[in-house]
Amino acid sequence: MESFKADVVIVGAGGAGLRAAIAVAEADPGLAIALVSKVYPMRSHTVAAEGGSAGVAQAHDSFEHHFNDTVSGGDWLCEQDVVEYFVAQCPQEMVQLEHWGCPWSRKPDGHVNVRAFGGMKIERTWFAADKTGFHMLHTLFQTSIKYPSIKRFDEHFCADLIVEDGRAQGVVVIGIASGEFMLIEAGAVVFATGGAGRVFRENTNGGIVTGDGMALAYRHGVPLRDMEFVQYHPTCMPGTGLLFTEACRGEGGFLLNKDGYRYLQDYGLGPAEPVPRNKAMELGPRDRLSQAFWHEQQKGRTIEGPHGSVVHLDLRHLGERKLRERLPQIYELAEEFLGVDPAKTPIPVRPAVHYTMGGILVDGSCAAPLPGLYAAGECSSVGIHGANRLGSNSLAELCVFGKVAGIEAARFARTVSPSAAATLQKQAQASEHRARAIVAKSDGTERIAHLRKEMAETMERGCGIYRLGDSMQATCDKLDELRQRYKNIGIEDKSSVWNSNWLMAIELGFQLDVAQAMAYSALNRKESRGAHQRLDGFEQRDDEHYLKHTLALFDGDGRPRIDYSPVRITKSRPAVRAYGAAGEQAEKEARHG
Amino acid sequence: MADKTITVEVLRYRPEQDPAPEFQRYQVPFSDDMSVLQALLYIKDELDETLSFRWSCRMAICGSCGMMINGDPKLSCKTFLRDIHPATVRVEALNHFPIERDLVVVMDDFIDKLERIQPYIIPAEPRSLDQGAYLQTPAQLDKYEQFSSCINCLLCYAACPQYGLNPTFIGPGALALLHRYNADSRDGASAQRMELVAAEEGVFNCTAVGYCSEVCPKHVDPANAVNQNKTTAAADYFARFLKPKGSGK
Amino acid sequence: MNKRRPYVRPMTGWWRKNPFFIEYMIHEGTALFVAAYALVLLAGLVCLAQGEAAWNGWLGALRHPLAILFHLVTLAMLSYHSWTWFKIMPKTMPPVVLGGRRLPAAAITGGGLAAVALASIAALGLVWGMTR
Repeated sequence: MESFKADVVIVGAGGAGLRAAIAVAEADPGLAIALVSKVYPMRSHTVAAEGGSAGVAQAHDSFEHHFNDTVSGGDWLCEQDVVEYFVAQCPQEMVQLEHWGCPWSRKPDGHVNVRAFGGMKIERTWFAADKTGFHMLHTLFQTSIKYPSIKRFDEHFCADLIVEDGRAQGVVVIGIASGEFMLIEAGAVVFATGGAGRVFRENTNGGIVTGDGMALAYRHGVPLRDMEFVQYHPTCMPGTGLLFTEACRGEGGFLLNKDGYRYLQDYGLGPAEPVPRNKAMELGPRDRLSQAFWHEQQKGRTIEGPHGSVVHLDLRHLGERKLRERLPQIYELAEEFLGVDPAKTPIPVRPAVHYTMGGILVDGSCAAPLPGLYAAGECSSVGIHGANRLGSNSLAELCVFGKVAGIEAARFARTVSPSAAATLQKQAQASEHRARAIVAKSDGTERIAHLRKEMAETMERGCGIYRLGDSMQATCDKLDELRQRYKNIGIEDKSSVWNSNWLMAIELGFQLDVAQAMAYSALNRKESRGAHQRLDGFEQRDDEHYLKHTLALFDGDGRPRIDYSPVRITKSRPAVRAYGAAGEQAEKEARHG
Repeated sequence: MADKTITVEVLRYRPEQDPAPEFQRYQVPFSDDMSVLQALLYIKDELDETLSFRWSCRMAICGSCGMMINGDPKLSCKTFLRDIHPATVRVEALNHFPIERDLVVVMDDFIDKLERIQPYIIPAEPRSLDQGAYLQTPAQLDKYEQFSSCINCLLCYAACPQYGLNPTFIGPGALALLHRYNADSRDGASAQRMELVAAEEGVFNCTAVGYCSEVCPKHVDPANAVNQNKTTAAADYFARFLKPKGSGK
Repeated sequence: MNKRRPYVRPMTGWWRKNPFFIEYMIHEGTALFVAAYALVLLAGLVCLAQGEAAWNGWLGALRHPLAILFHLVTLAMLSYHSWTWFKIMPKTMPPVVLGGRRLPAAAITGGGLAAVALASIAALGLVWGMTR
């Protein structure tokens, strides 16, 4: 098998992967970097992030505030030392992007503008209209072209991680155009492969968001942490799940039920004021807003549409001019996909799966327990999101921890020497053999699209906004069954060139493993916290038993082993998580008490 | 949900078995909110797993799913079946690029061109991170913002006959991005990029057909970027005669 | 080993495959009439330089029915050329900013066409005045 020798191989060329590659190149221009992506970098799903990226920017704001918002937003399941580091690094990374050309929206005097976002006490979300992720991704991608030491492997699918001598030493990739395998040897491996939202049915994610890196690390013994916490974004397009950014509400949009009533005031988020106060009403956190939708639906106060119940995202009072300036993409999405003019008609929305808070277990330096393996971005669980991520923290995370992962991987790579090439080759050939067996098999009867559909449906039923023990158990059982049936898949396409049928089959294998980690983690957490809400006797947060991270460990053909690890608390003791007027009251008491 | 069917004709090309591309027909049940991309996904899931095409975000921002739809370059995710029915949907790989397989084109050429235009800020006045962000007024932002909206979907290349006839032409998309950096108040490398602008493969290949801007799904108006640079290149050419000898460039 | 075999499609007849390209080719074709009319005027200039007889000969030739037909056809072609030329014009120039807002493309095209109309009327008036 052809091989390429790198010092650091980075898998995934979205925001985190590109930032990591640049960090390695800047740390030591002598290091050879292999940047692998199953798509061209600018197709990575960072592109679809809309609203903005967090970073303290105003004089009356502070790292302390950003820290408190993040930790309480995550329902105290955050690694607080990591959050402290994160909030302190965000502004510098945003300035760095500015220097690289990111077209941040500006105030009339030329300074970068910031907007309000859900769960954030003070406006600190940097934005480029409503295409922030797009601009960040293209800025990073185009800037990466400047560095000759970054060798890209575009449209190369990562089929396996090479672990030898107790550490990660490279990856096996498939050139999608040729169908040929290649071994990329490296002193350190960085996974920046994004989330796994496509294991659910209605989601905001692109087709490529299939949890590849999570599954590969998991299969090689690295725990997946806090996988039960899956974020439902409250304002998505019915049917397709496409995202209407939180910035719609940051700019002043309302959520209305079928009576035109701002129902969030009934769920501890009030008072309802004409301009939503930060951390209140429409600017509450995503988990609470999606949960409020569920309750409205139970009460029969939602509107029935062709793709299920909806509520209205009302932007009419913002006026066409402001909408065109601040939310141009949202305007076009509504017009083109729904035939709705948001300046004249409210947009029908419903919650959809958006983000996986959990991921590959890494410490504050992005190092996984497996030496030589690093992870950054949505595929990782570095510990800043806890049980619920605040909007605009993930784009900032890509930069802050992409950079950390790059620097740390470079440092590690310089300290090790590779194992014998023949040993690595042997492993790579075994991987190739396993991957090719999927196509070679001629008697399979299961169709991958149908397994995928069954998986997505069962995840939605068992691991939705509200969860029940019985239905989670049913989902776990169903996933066990699907993993067995997966062994019997039949692939129609036997060719080598751009065989997407084959790659989707491999992806489905990844997805099933990740879904199983999610479902079993959820079943075992007998409390309600952040995005994990139960209705079967565990409605309350239980700090005594569950102020700890879930770890899911791969166990081959069987069920994941579930373990727990402590949460690092430095300065914020778990308290009541309140928003709206109640939140302000609690904050006042905390200050005086 | 799906109460009607529509005929979808797809230009198939499997290099390991087809000597040349040929159309294949599929019947797809559809509802009014379905896009052409959703029809293709239906075909792949239910009718023919061997059909290959690029796609991802479904919301016209990742730029993957550009293809010829009934003769025009379009993003399949935001082209709706309701606008074509009852006619047949005829889908082909993007024009002017070699077909790798089915609807997938070889796009190495574009990537190579993108890399050649120096698509990054080469600062006029370097700043350290401690010095904070550059100031840039909304009017300065407005000078380049539209050009920075290019999603690299390549529809403009499929719309440009000059690129089809002469593939060495840098082409509308990459030139729009080149202009995006030249027009950015933070950048100081216009002179450096001029060599490529005025080169044989540069802006003067453009004969102002203008179709590139018509098909752009993001209102980038690449024709404008290219033609503004014709003026700049011409001015630069004549300015060189006016400068005293030995004054450098 | 490598099974890639990219297929390059021919460009033959490209301009017939899209109405936009047909319009473009007609636009380019009408430029020939612009050139032809420039030659007619140049011939007039040469005749004028050669003396009164030549000049009168040229004027006489212009009165021939075929010459009039040519003028009518040329007028139609030039009108089309102007229309399509001004239609593309907003794409070829830097943005015009008036009072902090960009001048819309339609205004540039409309302004150009209005300028053509005014210039034509002025030229017509001038010739009318000279020949009376």
